[in-house]
Amino acid sequence: MDPSGLFSPDPELIEVGVGGLVVAEHPKRLFTPALGSCVALALWNPARGTGAMAHIMLPQPAPGAGPTHGGRFATFAVPELVRMMTKDGTKPRRLIAKIAGGAAMFRGEVAIANIGRRNIAEVKHQLSLMSVPLVAEDTGEGHARTVELLLDSGVMVVRSYQFGVRRI
Amino acid sequence: MRLEELTELQLDALREVGSIGAGHAATALSQLVDRTVALEVPTLEVLDISAVPNVFGGPEQLVFGAYARLLGDIAGSVLFMVPRDAGLALTDLLHGRTPGTSTQMGTDQQALLHHVASILIAAYLAAIARMAGLDVLPSTPAMAFDMAGALLQAVLAEVGMYADAAVLVRTIFVAEGESAEAALFFVPDPDSLSTILSRIGMA
Repeated sequence: MDPSGLFSPDPELIEVGVGGLVVAEHPKRLFTPALGSCVALALWNPARGTGAMAHIMLPQPAPGAGPTHGGRFATFAVPELVRMMTKDGTKPRRLIAKIAGGAAMFRGEVAIANIGRRNIAEVKHQLSLMSVPLVAEDTGEGHARTVELLLDSGVMVVRSYQFGVRRI
Repeated sequence: MRLEELTELQLDALREVGSIGAGHAATALSQLVDRTVALEVPTLEVLDISAVPNVFGGPEQLVFGAYARLLGDIAGSVLFMVPRDAGLALTDLLHGRTPGTSTQMGTDQQALLHHVASILIAAYLAAIARMAGLDVLPSTPAMAFDMAGALLQAVLAEVGMYADAAVLVRTIFVAEGESAEAALFFVPDPDSLSTILSRIGMA
């Protein structure tokens, strides 16, 4: 595994930062490095070879929190990403969703482990509300992940120090 | 308190608070490794949450990390991080061996770094608590050995629930003559920032 290789300049590679919501088309690839308790949500349209990625940090904002960038919250990011992918008239159930992340990064740290778990649960809940089928996931456990979405195949490549490369 | 409202003077004061904690922690570290430990002048950043994974080398840099929650009069987090090779060099220094002797980050090495991190975090917080007249204790640090960006992001997620930015006080320790570099991040919650500033007469 060569994680640093991901950072060689590649014009086709688009990084999705925390709170980012990005739609792209093949030959572009969407990627998010070093997910911990965060969840990367990938949507893919098999009919068109287009896809999108969100980098979600939290399930929802704290009650009464001030103005915040909505993209890092699952309650905003999931419906918004689905809206972006269905603007062309595609039905949400024709999309497929894959998710990765939501790990418990520190051994024995309960609060952070809970954030990861709640992120996964809220993303799944929001997807079901939007009727987008979740077809694959690599979530939970205790390790960091870097993910990349290939837009010609819809394959999500998940890299970690612990397990190397998994393709889902 | 809203982070955008912090004045230059207040930021300087917080940086100074960080320096005092760091000085104390460096003394503890130099006693542990029995050589001089240099400190870089602590930096203070008001950092957008979305930029967090990039603040310590590359986001995928393999690091040992120890995380403690602040208990007592203020809330927030402390995160100790050391890149893999520097961490191994640090364990060699602690054993009185030539840095570079250890090549595997095994259970023993991680346990030793956990021990060092606990001492550094306690020393850092004790100095801040004494200066500000606050009661502050760390929780037992929880450890990880993985990507730097993922550890930072997990620690800052809680702040991200309330705010778009976090105040991060960063200290770099360098053991003299060696490339054993480690960092300590102090991330007080926005409310606790007000508490610290008022205690040091800078509210």
